[in-house]
Amino acid sequence: MIVTLIVLVIALLLSVVFIYFAVTEKDLLKAVVFSAGQSVCYAILLHTMAAPDIAMTYLAVSVGLYSALLVFVISKTERYEV
Amino acid sequence: MSTRVLVLLLLLAGILLTTLTVTLVLRPEAPLSIRGLGKYYVVYTRQNTSSPEAVTAIVWDYRGLDTIYETVVLYMAIIGGLALSTTTRKIALKTRIGLTSIARTATRIIVLLIATIAASIALHGHLTPGGGFPGGSALAITAMLIIPVYTLQSLLDQGVSSTRLVAVRGLALTALGLVAVLPVFRGLEAVTNLKFYPSHVAGMLISGSLWFYNLFEFLAVASGFAAVALYLSIPEEFYREEIRGVRGGE
Repeated sequence: MIVTLIVLVIALLLSVVFIYFAVTEKDLLKAVVFSAGQSVCYAILLHTMAAPDIAMTYLAVSVGLYSALLVFVISKTERYEV
Repeated sequence: MSTRVLVLLLLLAGILLTTLTVTLVLRPEAPLSIRGLGKYYVVYTRQNTSSPEAVTAIVWDYRGLDTIYETVVLYMAIIGGLALSTTTRKIALKTRIGLTSIARTATRIIVLLIATIAASIALHGHLTPGGGFPGGSALAITAMLIIPVYTLQSLLDQGVSSTRLVAVRGLALTALGLVAVLPVFRGLEAVTNLKFYPSHVAGMLISGSLWFYNLFEFLAVASGFAAVALYLSIPEEFYREEIRGVRGGE
């Protein structure tokens, strides 16, 4: 029980760190990587809260598809935010 | 210390403080019992749908029509994107060279592994966590790996284009609709499961229509997302040339 709680707290706090870096980052490619990191944290959360179905879908969509799509979209504009 | 790190530390301290205060003052406790609806699904899912996986049973059996309409919404979104990226001439790209042969070999192995895992996620969706949508999105990732490593042109040369992939998605969606509608011809309700579809095939549990739904959803999602990847990876210069060509022709 206590291990579960510790994992939950660490994953939640780490996701806040990733979100903050993703929002403030000027290099959009790095921001995508931070966003993927946040998604990994959320997948850990979902799995600890006994929702493996959602964790699986979340991981495939938000780490794989979403990041890849954003990289394609960034390749169409500029890499750095002014 | 930069302001960025300072703000982050303040943010984390604030969050920790708020959580601790809320926990100590309100003392929230997790419920020890499940509600009646949850109990119903836990007890009756196995005999109603013959599937041990309650989530898939809810998604494709109890709430099957919802899921079918969700798939249709995604289909419309993908077609909308395709309509925006339509070009008048055939796509011929200048860069035909992908990455090195080391990267190519590694990608070949990884693509095979991802495809196997995606298929197992989708086709075991009625037994273990997973299902058509996660399996399909995992398979679509292979397309996104192949495009940068082998270049978009090599895929187009093989006859894989986003229009064709959307056509595959249309076919898979039609099959999905047929699975839902077929029981009507025998006088049963639409989205009937066990009264129409067998629960076992050759001694293997397929949980009636759940396996078919998962299979067609897998194909539909994979081809749909691969189509999106294909039309998004067409470089911007191509569209600029296209606009210039249209203007020059007038």
